[in-house]
Amino acid sequence: MGEVIVITSGKGGVGKTTTTANLGTGLASLGKKVVLVDTDIGLRNLDVVMGLENRIVYDLLDVVEGRCRLKQALIKDKRLENLYLLPANQTRDKTAVSRQQMVDLMAQLREEYEFVLIDCPAGIEMGFKNAIAGAEKALVVTTPEVAAVRDADRIIGLLEAAEMEAPRLIINRLRPDMVRKGDMMDIEDMLEILAIDLIGVVPEDEYIVISTNRGEPAVLDKHSRAGQAYRNIARRLTGEEVPFLNWDAGNGIMARLRRLIGLG
Amino acid sequence: MLSSTGSDTGAGTRQGITFPAAREKPGADNHTFLVCRTVRSGQRFEYPGNVVVMGDVHPGGEIVASGHVIVMGTLRGVVHAGAEGDEKAVVMAFRLQPTQLRIAGYITRAPDNEAQDITGEPEIARVQDEAVVIEKYQPGGEKRWLNRTMFEEEEEQNG
Repeated sequence: MGEVIVITSGKGGVGKTTTTANLGTGLASLGKKVVLVDTDIGLRNLDVVMGLENRIVYDLLDVVEGRCRLKQALIKDKRLENLYLLPANQTRDKTAVSRQQMVDLMAQLREEYEFVLIDCPAGIEMGFKNAIAGAEKALVVTTPEVAAVRDADRIIGLLEAAEMEAPRLIINRLRPDMVRKGDMMDIEDMLEILAIDLIGVVPEDEYIVISTNRGEPAVLDKHSRAGQAYRNIARRLTGEEVPFLNWDAGNGIMARLRRLIGLG
Repeated sequence: MLSSTGSDTGAGTRQGITFPAAREKPGADNHTFLVCRTVRSGQRFEYPGNVVVMGDVHPGGEIVASGHVIVMGTLRGVVHAGAEGDEKAVVMAFRLQPTQLRIAGYITRAPDNEAQDITGEPEIARVQDEAVVIEKYQPGGEKRWLNRTMFEEEEEQNG
């Protein structure tokens, strides 16, 4: 029986889809059998970020409405053998599926996959309710901005009300240089406000823009800092203990030297 | 035979959802529908005949026709010609760069990791020897495929 994990945030644009794509790819490269489910009906993006848009024939709605079998709609990733995508429909809207249909679909997927990652739409309406309906665990993505943290707090409340297992937090797009100057919320501030466990911190990285535009998840790039952070989160999801990267230490030559000789 | 929803601009779509025309019998009829607008992401246009788009089809937009599809602009979305099985259907566009191109039961897409060779010329896609071939559009050459569909020929044979 696999784990069904929903990736959600409340606010839009904080990196749910990017996180879903990278964690899914990261888990698959660890040898896990993974399926990504895009539940953002009408505004699908996960297929584009994964570079699989041109392979879509059937989608989630075709499956729940019985126009095709589940296997026909699943798209095999072009890089990894054990990674699949169930794309969302683009021509209809969130009201096209019901919560029960999502619950049934997730029950079917978890039979065969070790990890089912659900990319949740922004908002707290029907799309969100459908996305969390079949999930047992949640990852809440936020950025170090007051508005994003406020929305994350609201989402955590809704997840608790839905009797979901304690959600875990991903802080995305952190800029350690700005945090040091006091211009950005730091990790402790956010953990104090949200009061949930942290599973990872992803630094701001230009490479994310490049990789999402190319349709190649950053997690596959050995040199990307964000990719490294996503690889660590993927390992934590499998239950492994991975130490957090030290974001407070600078990454300049002097700071690295100091760390090297044990002064940092 | 023509759909009542396709009256004014020939757009035929309402909030991205299409309403196919009423049919008297299955198979492609010889009607052609004119879409005078840009077909954007999430808009799907379905018609039991030929479709001509005076505009572009964006990625995420979809045209499904039981006959031919002609795009007088750039085709970047998904297109399905001969959707009811007519392998003689063709897809033609001023700029043919579809996400996915389907004719009858054949599905093709551009190869991965390959810069799309954009010719800037009108191109035509059709089924030949059980594969979709794409070639430069030659004026006059279209007479070989555009004039008749499989269903019409069947009708002729059946008297």
